[in-house]
Amino acid sequence: MNDSKDILGRARMIFFVVSFFGILILGRAFSIGVINRDYWQAKKEHQTIKFRTIEAARGNVYSTDGSLLATSLPIYDVRMDLRAEHLDKVFKKEVDSLAYYLAKNFKDKTASEYSAILKRERAKKNRYFLLRRGVKHNVLKLMKTFPILKYGKYRGGLIVETQNRREMPFRHLALRTLGKYQEGVKSIGIEGAYNDFLQGIEGKQLVQKISNNVWRPLNAENEIDPKEGNDIVTSIDIIIQDVAEAELERQLKKHNAQNGCVVLMEVETGYIRAIANLQRDADSTYDETYNFAIGNGTEPGSTFKLASLMALFEDGLAKPDDIYDTHGGKVRFGNRWMKDSHEGGYGKITLADAFKLSSNTAISQAVNQAYENHPEKFISRLKKFRLDQSLGIDIKGERPPLIKSPENTSWSGTTLPWMSIGYESRLTPLQILAFYNAVANNGKFMKPQFVEEIRHRGQTIQKFDPIVLNEAICSQNTIDMLKPMLESVVEDGTASNLKNPFFKIAGKTGTAQIAYDNGGYIKNGERKYQASFVGYFPANKPKYSCIVVVSAPSNSVYYGNMVAGPVFKGVADKVYARNLEIQDTEQKFAFNYSETEQKRCANANDLAVIMSKTGRKLALPVDEEWIQVMQGPQALSTSPRISENDMVPDVRGMGLKDALFLLENKGIRVKVNGRGQVRKQSVKAGTRINQNMEILIELT
Amino acid sequence: MKIPAIYAKGDKSIWIVVLLLSLISVLAVYSSTGSLAYAKQGGDTEHYLIKHLFLVLSGLFLMYVTHLANYKMFSRLGQILLFIAIPLLAVTLVTGTSLNEGSRWLTLPIINVSFQTSDLAKLALIMYLARLLSRKQDQIKEFKQAFVPLMVPIGVVCGLILPANFSTAALLFATCLVLLFIGRVNLKYIFILVASGIIAFALFIVIAINFDLPGRIGTWKARIENFSSGESEANYQAEQSKIAIANGGLFGAGPGNSSQRNFLPQAYSDFIFAFILEEYGIMGGFVVILLYIILLYRIVAVLKYSPQTFATLLAIGCGIMLVFQALINMAVAVNLFPVTGQPLPLVSMGGTSIWFTSISIGIILCVSRFCVKEKGGEDAIA
Repeated sequence: MNDSKDILGRARMIFFVVSFFGILILGRAFSIGVINRDYWQAKKEHQTIKFRTIEAARGNVYSTDGSLLATSLPIYDVRMDLRAEHLDKVFKKEVDSLAYYLAKNFKDKTASEYSAILKRERAKKNRYFLLRRGVKHNVLKLMKTFPILKYGKYRGGLIVETQNRREMPFRHLALRTLGKYQEGVKSIGIEGAYNDFLQGIEGKQLVQKISNNVWRPLNAENEIDPKEGNDIVTSIDIIIQDVAEAELERQLKKHNAQNGCVVLMEVETGYIRAIANLQRDADSTYDETYNFAIGNGTEPGSTFKLASLMALFEDGLAKPDDIYDTHGGKVRFGNRWMKDSHEGGYGKITLADAFKLSSNTAISQAVNQAYENHPEKFISRLKKFRLDQSLGIDIKGERPPLIKSPENTSWSGTTLPWMSIGYESRLTPLQILAFYNAVANNGKFMKPQFVEEIRHRGQTIQKFDPIVLNEAICSQNTIDMLKPMLESVVEDGTASNLKNPFFKIAGKTGTAQIAYDNGGYIKNGERKYQASFVGYFPANKPKYSCIVVVSAPSNSVYYGNMVAGPVFKGVADKVYARNLEIQDTEQKFAFNYSETEQKRCANANDLAVIMSKTGRKLALPVDEEWIQVMQGPQALSTSPRISENDMVPDVRGMGLKDALFLLENKGIRVKVNGRGQVRKQSVKAGTRINQNMEILIELT
Repeated sequence: MKIPAIYAKGDKSIWIVVLLLSLISVLAVYSSTGSLAYAKQGGDTEHYLIKHLFLVLSGLFLMYVTHLANYKMFSRLGQILLFIAIPLLAVTLVTGTSLNEGSRWLTLPIINVSFQTSDLAKLALIMYLARLLSRKQDQIKEFKQAFVPLMVPIGVVCGLILPANFSTAALLFATCLVLLFIGRVNLKYIFILVASGIIAFALFIVIAINFDLPGRIGTWKARIENFSSGESEANYQAEQSKIAIANGGLFGAGPGNSSQRNFLPQAYSDFIFAFILEEYGIMGGFVVILLYIILLYRIVAVLKYSPQTFATLLAIGCGIMLVFQALINMAVAVNLFPVTGQPLPLVSMGGTSIWFTSISIGIILCVSRFCVKEKGGEDAIA
């Protein structure tokens, strides 16, 4: 066991070495932490390192057709460190020319003023002098070519700080619905509602202070890279949106109205294709400052009559052809008179006609007779129609609806009849629209949605599929009774001014008095009105529902059909004209010029190329742009194809590329069917071109 | 500390030291990962704590299981493991997951756990050397019969680790030489080897400084240059470490009060000793160093009753490997040594390397168990 003892002895030796080394480490720690403590602590004060957050790029917001509605662009604050280490060499020599360039480009101060300021700030040892705030990239690039600044950070003292600014390429379009997000401020609209998706994740970078306000990244890479936000694809259709806003603004101006809104919703999906809110400013222009469509709950007025009739039909308490006496346009409930807007009433009319003509007396009598003894039955019906519940939309600020109950203290003997014509309750325009949309959608109540998808770098990461809030708010039977009544409103009722020969609109007008803050309807001898029209089109196969509300039209005309109706019609016309899938194509483009052309037609230059490639010789007419080629008796014959300015050209026999080129250059919108050569065109060549002209070309 | 004593055998003091170090580890890791948790886990400060707790507890479990074995088994096991480890090292070098430009990690295909193959190789090599040394005791002073056969596995393993991880290779090499010395290998040969090694290394440094070489060599070069030049601007890590120590002073800033954890690179691993010095002061550092010294002391003390030379060398080999690594880590923190990436065994947060450390402690405990048994009664060594 001698070897063993030797081994243990050596192990002990190592143990002593280790212990010694341990003491050494401790001693060293003592020397740093106790003896030289002040030196190292001072070092800490002196050397400042911090984490700098790196802003993540905010996601973009797109319209459903892919237009960019909101994006973040970098903007720059350009500053100068007027005491930069190597600035001495150039400052004196070039300060005047820098001042000259600044004055020349920004034109806010003269060159001598700039020069004086720069010299003064340099004397003050300003290391953080602001030259220009919030410049765009191209301006920054330009400034980097200026004298002194062109030497960059160390020699020129240039400091550039980047920020991101939210830009909306379409400016005011759907501004309020797009909304904005600001830290710590009540955020609004889609930007606010979907901020979690849009904002991304901030990055972090260790930076070290090297002089006043100059921080240098410590490591080449970020400690944490920022993650850019996701993109949001909204349901907004930019073209419909544009039309909606333009129509609304025109009508508001015409009637000098206080505010108004228009919302267009896709019937089957509930996607909002357009939403515009305009309010009159102090300077009588109109701006998007408040989202009336979702935040402004008011007494809906006559548009509510649809709900009243739906309840009556569902409960089997009335039929469209039941007859009611309008009693000369005046009926007394309790101590209040119910009047028709048409002086003298309508005599004895059916319920269907009462709806079409918007008779207050007939409808309130029908509801009152049916539910007088059981008003709670009427209310529970309304609740089944989902009229008492918020829509739960993603955008903040929805005003919950108000549907009174008989238990409420404010319920009186006259509540029921007045409710039946849209008073003593409160709904927002969007809530009314969603209800009408459900009727258009055969009872299926869709949730209005503003966003279709969330994407990241073009990849869909979340889809917002249509949401059904109620599979059937009423029976198909009831729907079948209501729909013709809604159509008759436009056909020969209160909104016959909306009638057009191309497609049918179904809807209802509404004209309500708006209560003032004190609850009364008259203030300083003035009444405020709210005109509305809500409906859907095309009536036979509803594709879109739409509501227009115009508040306080002060130019004496206040009827829904006159004030709100034209906006509806304007939007519907444009949407219809544009949206070929909802049209009967053959009907729109009646091929009144349908002979098929045998001649082939092409661009002269292209023909020349073809001839040189194939070696075939053809005599081409000189100086003609478009040549048509025809099989003659023996050989191919050529002739020029002439089209005049402002006239629809003959594109038959052309390839699609040529046809599109020709037509679109003349400002005609082209719809294409098939492939190959153009066989037929829906508008005859030689027709004068008008604005918004559309043509269908059929290819072989 | 009654509970482990009831169920676990082996030297009680070693168990206590290990448990104390584990406790310090959990405290230090929890506090030092605060900013990391904010940066990478969205403020979930418990994320790293839970992960680390799991590793520590599973490590203690492995330790317990290992110490139940018969130490004789490790003789054969070392041989087998070495034959597995050498090809694995080669594979890692070629294909391994590259972190910080060093190919150190190998991901096991089915269970999807990555580990440093060098951890396995270290353990296997120590076991194998203990076996070889004990078998060659009769001709241990010979060059051809003992020194060369012993140096071959050391050279192969260290050579394979070296390109990816210089510090681990160097540390392992030093540990092996010390083990050879303890195992009574002729000191003359060891001296000659060390001397020639120093000359070769000096040559290498001259070449590295004068030529730009690819891969890890660039990192080594920078580290050595920083250490030798002592430029405060360049040696950021060491400077931050010193500021941390100064911050702590004699009694420390208190648990959870470190401010340097935001600037110390890997405050939870490579620089955890500096972090401990900041929060618990020199006194805290003293306790940690003392625990390692106690650990080594107990190993040597227990081995007085060692049943076999193999057992002695196995336990002492595992012990010095661990303690040397601890010393190197601590020496780096106090800037006695250039910056290397060695974690503090049993204390640093780290993935699977904790398991290998635990197994080595398990082996030591296993040997200590036999020391007790054959001498009859625990009192003999307590």
